[in-house]
Amino acid sequence: MKQLTEEDTIQKPLPIADSDSHAMWEGLKKGELLLQHCEDCGHVQYYQQGLCRICQSKKLVHRAASGRGIIHSYSVVHRSPGPAFRDDVPYAVLLVELEEGPRMISSLLGKDFTHLAIDSPVAMKTMKISEQVFLPCFELVNLADK
Amino acid sequence: MRNKNTLRGKVAIVGIGQSPSGRVPGRSPLDLTADASLKALADAGMDKSQLDGVLTGNAYASSFHRFSVALSEYLNIQPSYSNTLQVSGATAGAAVNTAAAAICSGLADTVLVACGDSLLTGMTPDLAIRAMTESRDQQYEMPFGIPVANTFAMTAHRHMKEFGTTSEQMAQVAVTFRQHASRTPGAQKTDLISIDDVLASKMVSSPYRKLDCSLISDGAAALILTSAEKAYEYNQEPIFILGGGEYYSHEHIFLMPNLTETGAVQSAQKAYQMAGVSPLDIDVAGIYDCFTGTVLMMLEDLGFCKKGEAGPFVEAGEITYGGCIPTNTHGGMLSYAHPGIPAAWFHFTEVVRQLRGNCGERQVKDAEVGLVHTLGAGFSTHATTVLGKGSTL
Repeated sequence: MKQLTEEDTIQKPLPIADSDSHAMWEGLKKGELLLQHCEDCGHVQYYQQGLCRICQSKKLVHRAASGRGIIHSYSVVHRSPGPAFRDDVPYAVLLVELEEGPRMISSLLGKDFTHLAIDSPVAMKTMKISEQVFLPCFELVNLADK
Repeated sequence: MRNKNTLRGKVAIVGIGQSPSGRVPGRSPLDLTADASLKALADAGMDKSQLDGVLTGNAYASSFHRFSVALSEYLNIQPSYSNTLQVSGATAGAAVNTAAAAICSGLADTVLVACGDSLLTGMTPDLAIRAMTESRDQQYEMPFGIPVANTFAMTAHRHMKEFGTTSEQMAQVAVTFRQHASRTPGAQKTDLISIDDVLASKMVSSPYRKLDCSLISDGAAALILTSAEKAYEYNQEPIFILGGGEYYSHEHIFLMPNLTETGAVQSAQKAYQMAGVSPLDIDVAGIYDCFTGTVLMMLEDLGFCKKGEAGPFVEAGEITYGGCIPTNTHGGMLSYAHPGIPAAWFHFTEVVRQLRGNCGERQVKDAEVGLVHTLGAGFSTHATTVLGKGSTL
Protein backbone atom coordinates (compact mmCIF):
# COMPACT_ATOMS: atom_id res chain seq x y z
CA MET A 1 0.00 0.00 0.00
CA LYS A 2 1.16 3.52 -0.75
CA GLN A 3 2.54 5.05 2.41
CA LEU A 4 0.98 8.49 2.89
CA THR A 5 3.03 11.26 4.44
CA GLU A 6 1.92 14.25 6.50
CA GLU A 7 2.57 16.27 3.33
CA ASP A 8 -0.16 14.28 1.54
CA THR A 9 -2.73 15.14 4.19
CA ILE A 10 -2.18 18.90 3.78
CA GLN A 11 -2.97 18.83 0.05
CA LYS A 12 -6.59 18.71 -1.02
CA PRO A 13 -7.27 15.81 -3.35
CA LEU A 14 -7.78 17.21 -6.85
CA PRO A 15 -9.38 15.40 -9.76
CA ILE A 16 -6.97 14.10 -12.40
CA ALA A 17 -8.87 13.87 -15.68
CA ASP A 18 -8.54 10.68 -17.71
CA SER A 19 -9.52 9.85 -21.27
CA ASP A 20 -13.08 9.08 -20.17
CA SER A 21 -13.60 12.27 -18.17
CA HIS A 22 -11.52 14.88 -20.01
CA ALA A 23 -14.53 16.51 -21.74
CA MET A 24 -16.45 16.89 -18.49
CA TRP A 25 -13.66 18.71 -16.68
CA GLU A 26 -13.16 20.93 -19.76
CA GLY A 27 -16.91 21.72 -19.77
CA LEU A 28 -16.82 22.81 -16.15
CA LYS A 29 -14.21 25.44 -17.05
CA LYS A 30 -16.95 26.98 -19.22
CA GLY A 31 -19.52 26.68 -16.45
CA GLU A 32 -21.24 23.63 -17.95
CA LEU A 33 -21.84 20.25 -16.33
CA LEU A 34 -21.80 17.81 -19.24
CA LEU A 35 -23.87 14.64 -18.95
CA GLN A 36 -23.61 11.72 -21.32
CA HIS A 37 -26.79 10.92 -23.29
CA CYS A 38 -27.01 7.54 -25.00
CA GLU A 39 -28.29 7.86 -28.56
CA ASP A 40 -29.35 4.21 -28.60
CA CYS A 41 -31.33 3.79 -25.38
CA GLY A 42 -31.78 7.34 -24.09
CA HIS A 43 -29.99 6.71 -20.78
CA VAL A 44 -28.41 9.79 -19.19
CA GLN A 45 -25.31 9.21 -17.10
CA TYR A 46 -22.87 10.81 -14.70
CA TYR A 47 -19.92 10.05 -14.45
CA GLN A 48 -18.23 9.88 -17.84
CA GLN A 49 -17.55 6.45 -19.33
CA GLY A 50 -16.56 5.09 -22.72
CA LEU A 51 -19.85 3.23 -22.99
CA CYS A 52 -23.46 3.45 -21.85
CA ARG A 53 -23.91 1.76 -18.45
CA ILE A 54 -27.32 0.41 -19.50
CA CYS A 55 -26.90 -0.84 -23.08
CA GLN A 56 -23.08 -0.65 -23.55
CA SER A 57 -23.52 1.46 -26.68
CA LYS A 58 -20.65 3.76 -27.55
CA LYS A 59 -22.96 6.32 -29.15
CA LEU A 60 -22.81 8.84 -26.34
CA VAL A 61 -23.25 12.57 -26.77
CA HIS A 62 -22.48 15.27 -24.24
CA ARG A 63 -25.21 17.73 -23.29
CA ALA A 64 -25.01 20.39 -20.61
CA ALA A 65 -27.16 19.71 -17.56
CA SER A 66 -29.76 22.29 -16.55
CA GLY A 67 -27.94 22.58 -13.24
CA ARG A 68 -31.18 22.11 -11.33
CA GLY A 69 -31.67 19.27 -8.87
CA ILE A 70 -32.84 18.26 -5.42
CA ILE A 71 -30.95 17.05 -2.40
CA HIS A 72 -31.30 13.26 -2.23
CA SER A 73 -29.24 13.16 0.96
CA TYR A 74 -26.49 15.10 2.71
CA SER A 75 -24.15 15.14 5.67
CA VAL A 76 -22.56 18.12 7.39
CA VAL A 77 -18.90 17.41 8.10
CA HIS A 78 -17.70 18.73 11.46
CA ARG A 79 -14.61 16.54 11.93
CA SER A 80 -12.42 17.27 8.92
CA PRO A 81 -10.85 14.35 7.07
CA GLY A 82 -7.35 15.66 7.77
CA PRO A 83 -5.65 19.08 7.66
CA ALA A 84 -6.58 19.78 4.02
CA PHE A 85 -10.19 20.46 4.97
CA ARG A 86 -9.64 21.77 8.51
CA ASP A 87 -10.30 25.41 7.61
CA ASP A 88 -13.47 24.44 5.74
CA VAL A 89 -15.45 22.74 8.52
CA PRO A 90 -18.33 22.72 9.00
CA TYR A 91 -19.28 22.05 5.37
CA ALA A 92 -22.07 20.07 3.77
CA VAL A 93 -21.46 17.22 1.35
CA LEU A 94 -24.49 16.71 -0.87
CA LEU A 95 -25.86 13.80 -2.82
CA VAL A 96 -27.74 15.71 -5.50
CA GLU A 97 -30.32 14.19 -7.82
CA LEU A 98 -30.16 16.13 -11.06
CA GLU A 99 -33.28 17.05 -13.01
CA GLU A 100 -32.00 14.78 -15.82
CA GLY A 101 -31.94 11.77 -13.46
CA PRO A 102 -28.36 10.99 -12.42
CA ARG A 103 -27.11 11.59 -8.90
CA MET A 104 -23.75 13.12 -8.03
CA ILE A 105 -21.61 13.97 -5.01
CA SER A 106 -21.03 17.68 -4.53
CA SER A 107 -20.68 20.40 -1.89
CA LEU A 108 -23.03 23.08 -0.67
CA LEU A 109 -21.78 26.62 -1.20
CA GLY A 110 -21.87 28.57 2.03
CA LYS A 111 -22.43 27.61 5.62
CA ASP A 112 -26.08 28.35 6.19
CA PHE A 113 -27.52 24.94 6.95
CA THR A 114 -30.90 26.18 8.24
CA HIS A 115 -32.80 25.17 5.12
CA LEU A 116 -30.61 22.18 4.28
CA ALA A 117 -32.89 19.15 4.03
CA ILE A 118 -33.64 16.12 1.90
CA ASP A 119 -35.71 17.17 -1.16
CA SER A 120 -34.57 20.82 -0.98
CA PRO A 121 -34.09 22.27 -4.50
CA VAL A 122 -30.55 23.27 -5.45
CA ALA A 123 -28.82 24.94 -8.39
CA MET A 124 -25.29 24.34 -9.69
CA LYS A 125 -22.46 26.86 -9.72
CA THR A 126 -18.88 26.11 -10.61
CA MET A 127 -16.15 26.92 -8.12
CA LYS A 128 -12.67 27.73 -9.41
CA ILE A 129 -10.00 25.76 -7.56
CA SER A 130 -7.16 26.44 -10.04
CA GLU A 131 -6.78 27.34 -13.74
CA GLN A 132 -7.26 23.66 -14.53
CA VAL A 133 -9.90 22.64 -12.00
CA PHE A 134 -13.43 23.93 -11.59
CA LEU A 135 -15.66 21.91 -9.26
CA PRO A 136 -19.43 21.63 -9.68
CA CYS A 137 -21.02 22.88 -6.44
CA PHE A 138 -24.60 23.71 -5.49
CA GLU A 139 -26.50 26.37 -3.63
CA LEU A 140 -29.94 26.12 -2.10
CA VAL A 141 -32.65 27.68 -4.23
CA ASN A 142 -34.56 30.21 -2.24
CA LEU A 143 -38.16 29.26 -2.96
CA ALA A 144 -39.35 32.77 -2.06
CA ASP A 145 -37.39 34.10 -5.08
CA LYS A 146 -39.28 31.93 -7.53
CA MET B 1 -30.14 -24.64 -12.52
CA ARG B 2 -29.11 -24.55 -8.88
CA ASN B 3 -25.51 -25.45 -8.25
CA LYS B 4 -25.50 -28.39 -5.85
CA ASN B 5 -21.76 -28.24 -5.40
CA THR B 6 -21.79 -25.81 -2.46
CA LEU B 7 -19.55 -25.11 0.53
CA ARG B 8 -22.04 -26.43 3.06
CA GLY B 9 -20.34 -28.53 5.71
CA LYS B 10 -17.19 -29.10 3.65
CA VAL B 11 -14.85 -26.70 5.43
CA ALA B 12 -14.37 -25.80 9.10
CA ILE B 13 -12.66 -23.14 11.16
CA VAL B 14 -10.33 -25.12 13.44
CA GLY B 15 -8.18 -22.38 14.92
CA ILE B 16 -8.61 -18.76 15.98
CA GLY B 17 -6.10 -16.26 17.34
CA GLN B 18 -5.89 -12.58 18.22
CA SER B 19 -3.01 -10.27 18.97
CA PRO B 20 -3.49 -7.72 21.74
CA SER B 21 -5.76 -4.98 20.35
CA GLY B 22 -6.72 -1.44 21.21
CA ARG B 23 -3.63 0.70 21.84
CA VAL B 24 -0.64 -1.55 21.08
CA PRO B 25 2.37 0.71 20.41
CA GLY B 26 5.66 -0.43 18.93
CA ARG B 27 4.36 -3.35 16.91
CA SER B 28 4.17 -3.39 13.12
CA PRO B 29 1.16 -4.73 11.19
CA LEU B 30 3.19 -7.82 10.19
CA ASP B 31 4.30 -8.41 13.79
CA LEU B 32 0.71 -8.18 15.06
CA THR B 33 -0.57 -10.45 12.28
CA ALA B 34 2.17 -13.03 12.89
CA ASP B 35 1.28 -12.97 16.60
CA ALA B 36 -2.40 -13.67 15.84
CA SER B 37 -1.45 -16.36 13.31
CA LEU B 38 0.81 -18.23 15.76
CA LYS B 39 -1.94 -18.06 18.38
CA ALA B 40 -4.42 -19.54 15.88
CA LEU B 41 -1.96 -22.37 15.13
CA ALA B 42 -1.53 -23.00 18.88
CA ASP B 43 -5.31 -22.91 19.38
CA ALA B 44 -5.71 -25.59 16.70
CA GLY B 45 -2.70 -27.56 17.91
CA MET B 46 -1.25 -27.36 14.41
CA ASP B 47 2.28 -26.90 13.12
CA LYS B 48 2.80 -24.13 10.55
CA SER B 49 4.13 -26.74 8.09
CA GLN B 50 0.52 -27.89 7.67
CA LEU B 51 -0.53 -24.54 6.17
CA ASP B 52 -0.50 -24.48 2.38
CA GLY B 53 -2.66 -21.40 1.89
CA VAL B 54 -2.50 -17.80 3.16
CA LEU B 55 -5.13 -15.11 2.55
CA THR B 56 -4.97 -11.63 4.08
CA GLY B 57 -6.26 -8.11 3.62
CA ASN B 58 -3.97 -5.13 3.30
CA ALA B 59 -2.63 -2.90 6.08
CA TYR B 60 -2.66 0.90 5.86
CA ALA B 61 0.37 1.18 8.15
CA SER B 62 2.44 -1.24 6.10
CA SER B 63 4.15 -0.61 2.76
CA PHE B 64 3.73 -4.18 1.49
CA HIS B 65 1.46 -4.51 -1.54
CA ARG B 66 1.34 -8.29 -1.20
CA PHE B 67 0.65 -8.52 2.53
CA SER B 68 -0.19 -12.25 2.32
CA VAL B 69 3.17 -12.99 0.69
CA ALA B 70 5.03 -10.78 3.16
CA LEU B 71 3.28 -12.50 6.07
CA SER B 72 4.25 -15.93 4.70
CA GLU B 73 7.88 -14.86 4.51
CA TYR B 74 7.71 -13.34 8.02
CA LEU B 75 6.50 -16.71 9.35
CA ASN B 76 8.86 -18.61 7.00
CA ILE B 77 6.14 -20.55 5.25
CA GLN B 78 5.91 -21.15 1.51
CA PRO B 79 2.22 -21.58 0.59
CA SER B 80 1.00 -22.94 -2.75
CA TYR B 81 -2.08 -20.68 -2.53
CA SER B 82 -2.02 -17.00 -1.52
CA ASN B 83 -3.76 -13.71 -2.16
CA THR B 84 -4.18 -10.26 -0.65
CA LEU B 85 -7.83 -9.32 -0.98
CA GLN B 86 -9.27 -5.81 -1.12
CA VAL B 87 -13.01 -5.27 -0.90
CA SER B 88 -12.75 -2.81 2.02
CA GLY B 89 -14.70 -3.80 5.13
CA ALA B 90 -16.09 -6.91 3.44
CA THR B 91 -12.60 -8.37 3.03
CA ALA B 92 -12.94 -10.58 6.13
CA GLY B 93 -16.07 -12.36 4.92
CA ALA B 94 -14.82 -12.50 1.33
CA ALA B 95 -11.52 -14.03 2.54
CA VAL B 96 -13.31 -16.72 4.57
CA ASN B 97 -15.63 -17.54 1.65
CA THR B 98 -12.69 -17.59 -0.78
CA ALA B 99 -10.55 -19.77 1.50
CA ALA B 100 -13.45 -22.21 1.86
CA ALA B 101 -13.87 -22.32 -1.92
CA ALA B 102 -10.15 -22.94 -2.39
CA ILE B 103 -10.27 -25.85 0.06
CA CYS B 104 -13.38 -27.32 -1.61
CA SER B 105 -11.77 -27.12 -5.03
CA GLY B 106 -8.45 -28.64 -3.99
CA LEU B 107 -6.40 -25.49 -4.55
CA ALA B 108 -5.42 -25.67 -0.87
CA ASP B 109 -5.85 -28.03 2.09
CA THR B 110 -5.43 -25.72 5.07
CA VAL B 111 -5.62 -21.92 4.82
CA LEU B 112 -4.54 -19.21 7.22
CA VAL B 113 -6.89 -16.21 6.89
CA ALA B 114 -5.33 -13.34 8.79
CA CYS B 115 -5.20 -9.55 8.94
CA GLY B 116 -3.60 -6.93 11.14
CA ASP B 117 -2.91 -3.21 11.18
CA SER B 118 -1.74 -0.47 13.50
CA LEU B 119 -4.11 2.36 12.61
CA LEU B 120 -3.91 3.89 16.08
CA THR B 121 -0.21 4.00 16.95
CA GLY B 122 1.38 3.18 13.58
CA MET B 123 -0.02 6.35 12.00
CA THR B 124 -1.19 9.78 13.12
CA PRO B 125 -4.99 10.25 13.34
CA ASP B 126 -4.80 12.55 10.28
CA LEU B 127 -2.96 9.92 8.27
CA ALA B 128 -5.34 7.15 9.35
CA ILE B 129 -8.44 9.15 8.36
CA ARG B 130 -6.84 10.29 5.10
CA ALA B 131 -5.72 6.74 4.25
CA MET B 132 -9.30 5.52 4.63
CA THR B 133 -10.64 8.52 2.68
CA GLU B 134 -8.30 7.64 -0.20
CA SER B 135 -10.61 4.71 -0.90
CA ARG B 136 -13.17 7.13 -2.39
CA ASP B 137 -12.92 8.10 -6.07
CA GLN B 138 -10.32 10.77 -6.72
CA GLN B 139 -12.33 12.50 -9.48
CA TYR B 140 -15.95 12.34 -8.45
CA GLU B 141 -15.94 12.05 -4.66
CA MET B 142 -12.70 13.00 -2.89
CA PRO B 143 -12.44 16.63 -4.14
CA PHE B 144 -15.64 17.42 -2.20
CA GLY B 145 -14.03 16.52 1.13
CA ILE B 146 -15.96 13.31 1.62
CA PRO B 147 -14.73 11.39 4.66
CA VAL B 148 -15.52 7.69 5.11
CA ALA B 149 -18.22 8.55 7.64
CA ASN B 150 -19.99 10.74 5.09
CA THR B 151 -21.19 8.00 2.73
CA PHE B 152 -22.67 6.01 5.60
CA ALA B 153 -24.07 9.20 7.17
CA MET B 154 -25.99 10.00 3.98
CA THR B 155 -27.65 6.58 4.06
CA ALA B 156 -28.58 7.20 7.72
CA HIS B 157 -30.22 10.54 6.85
CA ARG B 158 -32.34 8.80 4.21
CA HIS B 159 -33.31 6.09 6.71
CA MET B 160 -34.39 8.74 9.20
CA LYS B 161 -36.41 10.57 6.53
CA GLU B 162 -38.09 7.48 5.06
CA PHE B 163 -38.79 5.49 8.22
CA GLY B 164 -38.72 7.97 11.09
CA THR B 165 -35.59 6.39 12.59
CA THR B 166 -34.23 8.56 15.42
CA SER B 167 -30.79 9.49 16.72
CA GLU B 168 -31.82 7.88 20.03
CA GLN B 169 -32.48 4.57 18.29
CA MET B 170 -29.10 4.67 16.57
CA ALA B 171 -27.45 5.58 19.89
CA GLN B 172 -28.97 2.46 21.46
CA VAL B 173 -26.69 0.35 19.23
CA ALA B 174 -23.60 2.03 20.73
CA VAL B 175 -24.99 1.66 24.25
CA THR B 176 -25.73 -2.07 23.76
CA PHE B 177 -22.34 -2.90 22.23
CA ARG B 178 -20.59 -1.02 25.04
CA GLN B 179 -22.43 -3.21 27.55
CA HIS B 180 -21.19 -6.24 25.62
CA ALA B 181 -17.61 -4.91 25.55
CA SER B 182 -17.67 -4.32 29.29
CA ARG B 183 -17.72 -8.12 29.71
CA THR B 184 -15.06 -8.85 27.07
CA PRO B 185 -11.43 -9.16 28.17
CA GLY B 186 -9.20 -6.96 26.01
CA ALA B 187 -11.92 -4.60 24.79
CA GLN B 188 -10.68 -1.07 24.05
CA LYS B 189 -13.68 0.74 25.58
CA THR B 190 -15.40 -0.76 28.59
CA ASP B 191 -16.88 2.22 30.48
CA LEU B 192 -20.66 2.07 30.19
CA ILE B 193 -22.39 4.83 28.23
CA SER B 194 -25.96 6.10 28.02
CA ILE B 195 -28.04 7.34 25.09
CA ASP B 196 -27.55 10.86 26.47
CA ASP B 197 -23.76 10.35 26.36
CA VAL B 198 -23.98 9.44 22.67
CA LEU B 199 -26.21 12.43 21.90
CA ALA B 200 -23.89 14.75 23.83
CA SER B 201 -20.74 13.59 22.02
CA LYS B 202 -19.25 15.81 19.30
CA MET B 203 -20.80 15.84 15.85
CA VAL B 204 -18.50 14.15 13.31
CA SER B 205 -20.54 13.97 10.10
CA SER B 206 -24.26 14.52 10.65
CA PRO B 207 -26.24 12.63 11.86
CA TYR B 208 -23.25 10.71 13.29
CA ARG B 209 -21.63 11.87 16.50
CA LYS B 210 -18.35 10.59 17.93
CA LEU B 211 -19.99 7.73 19.84
CA ASP B 212 -21.94 6.66 16.73
CA CYS B 213 -18.57 6.04 15.03
CA SER B 214 -16.28 3.03 15.38
CA LEU B 215 -12.96 3.29 17.18
CA ILE B 216 -9.44 3.55 15.72
CA SER B 217 -7.24 0.72 16.97
CA ASP B 218 -4.24 -1.52 16.51
CA GLY B 219 -4.66 -5.26 16.33
CA ALA B 220 -4.78 -8.47 14.33
CA ALA B 221 -6.82 -11.65 14.21
CA ALA B 222 -6.40 -14.96 12.41
CA LEU B 223 -8.50 -17.96 11.45
CA ILE B 224 -7.40 -21.39 10.23
CA LEU B 225 -9.68 -23.24 7.83
CA THR B 226 -9.36 -26.84 6.74
CA SER B 227 -11.48 -29.54 5.11
CA ALA B 228 -14.24 -31.37 6.98
CA GLU B 229 -12.25 -34.60 6.61
CA LYS B 230 -9.33 -33.18 8.59
CA ALA B 231 -11.34 -30.92 10.91
CA TYR B 232 -11.52 -33.34 13.83
CA GLU B 233 -7.74 -33.97 13.89
CA TYR B 234 -7.12 -30.77 15.85
CA ASN B 235 -7.59 -29.55 19.42
CA GLN B 236 -10.80 -27.57 19.08
CA GLU B 237 -14.37 -28.34 18.20
CA PRO B 238 -14.57 -27.47 14.48
CA ILE B 239 -17.03 -24.78 13.45
CA PHE B 240 -18.30 -25.43 9.94
CA ILE B 241 -18.99 -23.06 7.06
CA LEU B 242 -22.65 -23.65 6.23
CA GLY B 243 -23.05 -21.00 3.57
CA GLY B 244 -21.45 -17.98 1.97
CA GLY B 245 -22.71 -15.16 -0.19
CA GLU B 246 -21.40 -11.84 -1.51
CA TYR B 247 -22.76 -8.88 -3.47
CA TYR B 248 -21.16 -5.83 -5.06
CA SER B 249 -23.86 -3.39 -6.16
CA HIS B 250 -21.90 -0.23 -7.03
CA GLU B 251 -18.60 1.59 -6.56
CA HIS B 252 -19.63 5.25 -6.27
CA ILE B 253 -22.09 6.22 -3.53
CA PHE B 254 -24.04 8.23 -6.13
CA LEU B 255 -24.72 5.02 -8.06
CA MET B 256 -26.06 3.14 -5.03
CA PRO B 257 -29.48 2.08 -6.35
CA ASN B 258 -31.36 2.69 -3.09
CA LEU B 259 -29.74 4.35 -0.09
CA THR B 260 -31.82 2.42 2.44
CA GLU B 261 -31.65 -1.08 0.99
CA THR B 262 -28.24 -2.61 0.39
CA GLY B 263 -26.56 -5.55 -1.31
CA ALA B 264 -26.70 -7.34 2.05
CA VAL B 265 -30.16 -8.54 0.95
CA GLN B 266 -28.70 -10.52 -1.96
CA SER B 267 -25.52 -11.50 -0.11
CA ALA B 268 -27.46 -12.92 2.84
CA GLN B 269 -30.07 -14.61 0.67
CA LYS B 270 -27.35 -16.58 -1.09
CA ALA B 271 -25.68 -17.55 2.20
CA TYR B 272 -28.98 -18.59 3.81
CA GLN B 273 -29.96 -20.64 0.78
CA MET B 274 -26.61 -22.45 0.71
CA ALA B 275 -26.80 -23.09 4.44
CA GLY B 276 -30.44 -24.18 4.28
CA VAL B 277 -31.38 -21.81 7.10
CA SER B 278 -33.50 -18.70 7.59
CA PRO B 279 -32.79 -15.65 9.78
CA LEU B 280 -34.93 -17.30 12.49
CA ASP B 281 -32.36 -20.12 12.77
CA ILE B 282 -29.46 -17.76 13.58
CA ASP B 283 -28.57 -17.80 17.30
CA VAL B 284 -25.78 -15.21 17.35
CA ALA B 285 -24.53 -12.61 14.87
CA GLY B 286 -21.44 -10.58 14.12
CA ILE B 287 -22.48 -7.54 12.09
CA TYR B 288 -19.99 -5.00 10.72
CA ASP B 289 -20.62 -1.94 12.85
CA CYS B 290 -18.60 0.93 11.41
CA PHE B 291 -21.45 3.23 12.46
CA THR B 292 -24.54 2.74 14.61
CA GLY B 293 -27.01 3.28 11.77
CA THR B 294 -25.13 0.72 9.66
CA VAL B 295 -26.22 -1.97 12.13
CA LEU B 296 -29.88 -0.87 11.91
CA MET B 297 -29.89 -1.17 8.13
CA MET B 298 -28.15 -4.55 8.27
CA LEU B 299 -30.65 -5.97 10.79
CA GLU B 300 -33.31 -5.21 8.17
CA ASP B 301 -31.42 -6.38 5.09
CA LEU B 302 -30.22 -9.59 6.78
CA GLY B 303 -33.86 -10.35 7.56
CA PHE B 304 -33.84 -10.09 11.35
CA CYS B 305 -36.62 -7.49 11.21
CA LYS B 306 -38.73 -5.79 8.55
CA LYS B 307 -37.51 -2.84 6.45
CA GLY B 308 -37.82 0.37 8.42
CA GLU B 309 -38.37 -1.35 11.77
CA ALA B 310 -34.81 -1.72 13.05
CA GLY B 311 -35.05 1.35 15.29
CA PRO B 312 -37.87 -0.02 17.48
CA PHE B 313 -36.29 -3.52 17.19
CA VAL B 314 -33.07 -2.29 18.80
CA GLU B 315 -34.94 -0.22 21.40
CA ALA B 316 -36.82 -3.38 22.42
CA GLY B 317 -33.53 -5.09 23.32
CA GLU B 318 -33.58 -7.55 20.41
CA ILE B 319 -29.81 -7.35 19.69
CA THR B 320 -28.66 -8.32 23.16
CA TYR B 321 -29.02 -11.34 25.45
CA GLY B 322 -32.61 -12.58 25.62
CA GLY B 323 -33.51 -10.77 22.40
CA CYS B 324 -34.10 -12.13 18.90
CA ILE B 325 -30.49 -11.92 17.77
CA PRO B 326 -27.63 -11.20 20.22
CA THR B 327 -25.19 -9.24 18.06
CA ASN B 328 -21.52 -8.33 18.45
CA THR B 329 -21.23 -9.92 21.88
CA HIS B 330 -17.55 -8.85 21.99
CA GLY B 331 -18.49 -5.18 21.59
CA GLY B 332 -17.83 -4.78 17.86
CA MET B 333 -15.89 -2.01 16.17
CA LEU B 334 -17.82 0.53 18.21
CA SER B 335 -16.30 -0.72 21.49
CA TYR B 336 -14.00 -3.76 21.12
CA ALA B 337 -11.55 -2.68 18.38
CA HIS B 338 -11.40 -1.23 14.87
CA PRO B 339 -7.93 -1.64 13.35
CA GLY B 340 -9.29 -0.99 9.81
CA ILE B 341 -9.59 -3.93 7.42
CA PRO B 342 -8.84 -6.47 10.24
CA ALA B 343 -11.81 -5.21 12.30
CA ALA B 344 -14.28 -7.74 10.94
CA TRP B 345 -11.91 -10.64 11.68
CA PHE B 346 -12.86 -10.09 15.33
CA HIS B 347 -16.52 -10.66 14.47
CA PHE B 348 -15.46 -14.08 13.17
CA THR B 349 -13.32 -15.00 16.21
CA GLU B 350 -16.19 -14.00 18.52
CA VAL B 351 -18.89 -15.94 16.65
CA VAL B 352 -16.60 -19.01 16.53
CA ARG B 353 -16.05 -18.73 20.31
CA GLN B 354 -19.81 -18.42 20.85
CA LEU B 355 -20.46 -21.54 18.77
CA ARG B 356 -17.73 -23.45 20.61
CA GLY B 357 -19.47 -22.39 23.83
CA ASN B 358 -16.31 -20.77 25.19
CA CYS B 359 -17.63 -17.30 26.02
CA GLY B 360 -18.06 -17.64 29.77
CA GLU B 361 -20.29 -14.93 31.21
CA ARG B 362 -21.07 -13.52 27.76
CA GLN B 363 -22.07 -16.90 26.31
CA VAL B 364 -25.28 -16.96 24.27
CA LYS B 365 -27.06 -20.05 25.59
CA ASP B 366 -27.17 -23.04 23.24
CA ALA B 367 -25.75 -21.14 20.27
CA GLU B 368 -25.51 -23.56 17.33
CA VAL B 369 -25.79 -21.41 14.20
CA GLY B 370 -24.06 -18.05 13.76
CA LEU B 371 -23.85 -15.41 11.06
CA VAL B 372 -21.12 -12.93 10.22
CA HIS B 373 -21.88 -10.08 7.85
CA THR B 374 -19.04 -7.81 6.74
CA LEU B 375 -19.40 -4.80 4.44
CA GLY B 376 -17.51 -1.79 3.25
CA ALA B 377 -17.03 1.29 1.07
CA GLY B 378 -20.38 2.96 1.70
CA PHE B 379 -22.34 -0.31 1.39
CA SER B 380 -20.62 -1.16 -1.93
CA THR B 381 -19.23 -4.49 -0.79
CA HIS B 382 -20.99 -7.24 1.17
CA ALA B 383 -19.97 -10.72 2.34
CA THR B 384 -22.11 -13.01 4.50
CA THR B 385 -20.99 -16.26 6.10
CA VAL B 386 -23.21 -18.69 8.00
CA LEU B 387 -21.36 -20.86 10.52
CA GLY B 388 -22.55 -23.87 12.53
CA LYS B 389 -21.55 -26.53 15.01
CA GLY B 390 -21.00 -30.08 13.73
CA SER B 391 -24.42 -30.97 15.15
CA THR B 392 -26.07 -28.72 12.53
CA LEU B 393 -24.78 -30.77 9.57
